[in-house]
Amino acid sequence: MSGAALALRLAGRDLRGGLGRFRIFLACLVLGVAAIAAVGSVGAAITAGLQANGRELLGGDLEFALIQRVATPAERGWLAARGALSEIRRLRAMARHVSGAQRTLVELKAVDGAYPLFGRAVTAPALAPDTLLARRDGAWGAAVDDTLLARLGAALGERIRIGDSLVELRAVLTAEPDRGADAFALGPRVLVAAGMLEESGLIQPGSLVNVAYRLALPAGQRAGAVAAAARAAFPDAGWRIRTADEGAPGLRQFVDRLTQFLALVGLTALVVGGVGVGSAVEAHMADKTRTVAILKALGAPAALIFQTYLFQVLILALVGVALGLALGGMAPYVLSGVLADRLPVPPQAGLYPWPLAQAALFGLVTALLFTLWPLARAREVSPARLFRDLVAPDRRWPRPAYLAAIGLAAAALVALAIVTAPDLSFALWFVPGVAATFGVLRLAGALVVLAARRLPRPSRPGLRLALANLHRPGAATATVILSLGLGLTLMVAIALVQRNVGAAIGERLPQAAPAFFFIDLQPDQIDPFVALVSGFPGAGDLRYVPSLRGRISAVNGVPARDWKVAPDGRWALRGDRGVSYAAAPPDGADLVAGRWWPADYSGPPLISFDARVAEAMGVGVGDRLTINVLGRDIEARIASLRRIQWLSLTINFAIILSPGSLAGAPHSYLATVKADGPAEESLFRAVTDRFPNVTVVRMKEALDSVDKILRQLALAVEAAAAVTLAAGVLVLAGALAAGQRRRLYDAAILKVLGASRAQLIGAFVLEYAILGAATGVVAFAAGSLAGFGVVRGLMGQPWRYDPGFALLGLGAGLALTLGCGLIALWRGFGDSPAQVLRR
Amino acid sequence: MIELAGVRLSLASAAGRVDILRGVDLVVEPGSTIGIAGPSGSGKSTLLSIMAGLERPSAGTVMIAGQDLTRLGEDALARFRRDNLGIVFQSFHLIPTMTALENVAIPLELAGAAAAFAMARQALERVGLGPRLGHYPAQLSGGEQQRVALARAVVAAPKLLLADEPTGNLDGATGAAIVDLLFDLRRSRGATLVLVTHDPALAARCDRVVRFADGVIVDRAEAGA
Repeated sequence: MSGAALALRLAGRDLRGGLGRFRIFLACLVLGVAAIAAVGSVGAAITAGLQANGRELLGGDLEFALIQRVATPAERGWLAARGALSEIRRLRAMARHVSGAQRTLVELKAVDGAYPLFGRAVTAPALAPDTLLARRDGAWGAAVDDTLLARLGAALGERIRIGDSLVELRAVLTAEPDRGADAFALGPRVLVAAGMLEESGLIQPGSLVNVAYRLALPAGQRAGAVAAAARAAFPDAGWRIRTADEGAPGLRQFVDRLTQFLALVGLTALVVGGVGVGSAVEAHMADKTRTVAILKALGAPAALIFQTYLFQVLILALVGVALGLALGGMAPYVLSGVLADRLPVPPQAGLYPWPLAQAALFGLVTALLFTLWPLARAREVSPARLFRDLVAPDRRWPRPAYLAAIGLAAAALVALAIVTAPDLSFALWFVPGVAATFGVLRLAGALVVLAARRLPRPSRPGLRLALANLHRPGAATATVILSLGLGLTLMVAIALVQRNVGAAIGERLPQAAPAFFFIDLQPDQIDPFVALVSGFPGAGDLRYVPSLRGRISAVNGVPARDWKVAPDGRWALRGDRGVSYAAAPPDGADLVAGRWWPADYSGPPLISFDARVAEAMGVGVGDRLTINVLGRDIEARIASLRRIQWLSLTINFAIILSPGSLAGAPHSYLATVKADGPAEESLFRAVTDRFPNVTVVRMKEALDSVDKILRQLALAVEAAAAVTLAAGVLVLAGALAAGQRRRLYDAAILKVLGASRAQLIGAFVLEYAILGAATGVVAFAAGSLAGFGVVRGLMGQPWRYDPGFALLGLGAGLALTLGCGLIALWRGFGDSPAQVLRR
Repeated sequence: MIELAGVRLSLASAAGRVDILRGVDLVVEPGSTIGIAGPSGSGKSTLLSIMAGLERPSAGTVMIAGQDLTRLGEDALARFRRDNLGIVFQSFHLIPTMTALENVAIPLELAGAAAAFAMARQALERVGLGPRLGHYPAQLSGGEQQRVALARAVVAAPKLLLADEPTGNLDGATGAAIVDLLFDLRRSRGATLVLVTHDPALAARCDRVVRFADGVIVDRAEAGA
């Protein structure tokens, strides 16, 4: 029989001893693997949903998007010859109730008779398309989000005014197949007929209107081929062509990133669980010392011993991984219902092999990493201990080959975490961060043990017992501080980051940010607008700049779609961006490279560009960008780079051109105004009354939308962190249970010697309290540091420390340790000393 | 069969350095039986574990069956035990998760013997445990456990049998039956036997008895002398 076969057989026999020790082992693995598998599977299900519904999401097999202009007759004719064509125009506008009382910003979408090419717009009541949007009795029809009804205090059948048009609210829009394409809505949707928009007077030169042409191709036609043909036929159209198979790239990238973050948190849970896996195996091998010694005495080589127990651990790890995969793999089925309401298209429930394979690999490598040490030490057990108690101590450290294997497993885990990450830069930050925290907690555990050993012996027996329990051989101190501490550290860090983001959005931003953004101010409206605002009591800090929409169409002559960009800069190339021009740098501009052009500059076009995007694109001062504005390509050289604080919510443009570059291009103005409390509402009314075409974004409402999204994200993040904490509690429970027999034995002897139950319970409570407090303090410090690093370093935001929040970590550490400890103690503490000593 | 020369063993312990063996010389002829007697803590069992290659002496040479054990590596020692030694312990040291049959078959399985279980069954029948093959150690009495241990010690037909207080954990009658069986098995296989005991009557059944005290041999005598 080969060695491996014999080892496998011995492993099987040995498992007859029962799996009690492996309950925590299995629970830790199942939890971690299930978390990673669930996150990956749900992410894959969402992505599959986006992909499967690509045509509905995009609204066609292909979309040709233009900004601020409609297609020329030649372009339109070419498109119409390729398949069924639908034209959609979108812009932001103000809606006012006819009574004049309420008004609000809306996302207007004007559609033609062909809309939607794919999927179905659902309204309540269900109306035929022609009755839904057609003009009747002097008013155009509209289907609207129900939030609009609430904001305007209007009911179906009532009328509102948008621009110069009268609009009747005919139905509530309950489903809009192509909504996913609009990433961020600032107001409720209003679906109207194309004719309404023509009449409304909202389309002015330079108005921020997005025009999309969607094509449904005849069967057999490939979208890619049509896109290529369109590019060849109209090289200068400046349209952005997307095909349905791209799904919603922005949303997909977002899902990818969120999935990655949650998967890394899941991996942290797995690593925390790994500590429990390691301690379980260590306890198991301690039980098996005699068996190992017997086998060696009978002639078993050390390698066979190692193999036997490695197989045993691997078999159990496979069981744990399989259970974890089964649980995690079901997540898309369980969660798709909940997620369907929050996503543009429902996730496709199903089994996704790739995320499951990843989770399995993570589980097995983690199990190996944490069990190799106790297994390698078990092979060093001296068989001489069978003859007498005093033997030369076994090696404390595994042999070099095993240490190398442990190092290899650790490297494999880190490499896996990094390689499977869609966003490398984030993983490169997160993985070392967790590893460092792991190291710090391990060190802290060792220090607490050392301190307990070095402290002068207290005279109170209870305290002495408590301290002794913290440092005696096999004490759970280091394990608990490491595993529970890691979970708590993550919780504290996340709570602090959320607190800071919340403070920024809820308090700091609203104070610093303007109250309003005014969009689409026409050049001839600027003077009356300035006059109105300047004289308005309570309003101030008026700023306005010319505003156009443009798209980066080429970089150094290379079409933008062929230019390689790091993930965090892709947004800048994906759609159209605000473009402005200025003679002088904006207030407080932070120029990090190059120089601003002279105030009287009139040479070839120059650009001042966003430094972060430039870095992601790999361009710098002197490189050339081609900006497509209103269908016209403008090539400009980068003259300077600015570090932009987008979160300041003041007027910021990624692209600012030198004056004269855009001469003659029709454009509008963007203005911001600050206003204090009561002035805000009256200014809003005054401007919307006077300039019906001007769109007003109220910062409060915009921040509310952001806040809502962040709250939902926070829920997912908290859930993932809770899994890590749960893993920590599992390890804690396992560690305390492992020391239980010894603790009860001590208690029995002390009872025999006359200790009362109250004294003993007091001693154990003291021990758990010290352990919990030590864990909490370490997690409090490490979590605060990590939170500070994220907020200051990663987000570049001012740090606001909320110790009360972080102290929660300390309290949780104390409560969990005491709770678990007392539950463990409860079982068996009632037994009489004679019962315990006889065992 | 056994040649020990100048064997010493010192261990570092928390309480300081302990000299367990302080220069032991001993020669045992093949096929003979030798009793090692002496008080607890005199180093008898340690000497046995050195003969078994379970422990390395701090000094001296240990020749067993023509092999210098001090020159063998850990795994070579394990192979040496597998092929040459049978050991009987005071506390039996059966593996609790294995049946009687599996416990006895282990040395043969380790040696890769194809008929391991058939041979193990024969050995158990020989010690009178034919009906209890599938029992686990916890389901057997002390005497039965030691018979399983005896069967395990002789199943691979070792040249050298080492027994460490084989009756120490048994009552008088059971112990006597085990000793009879041990000598009986040794005789039928022609193996050399080293028997550690503090029972003078048991030691007297050996060809030769050496007395141990404080880590050295204090008396060598032919049995009955």
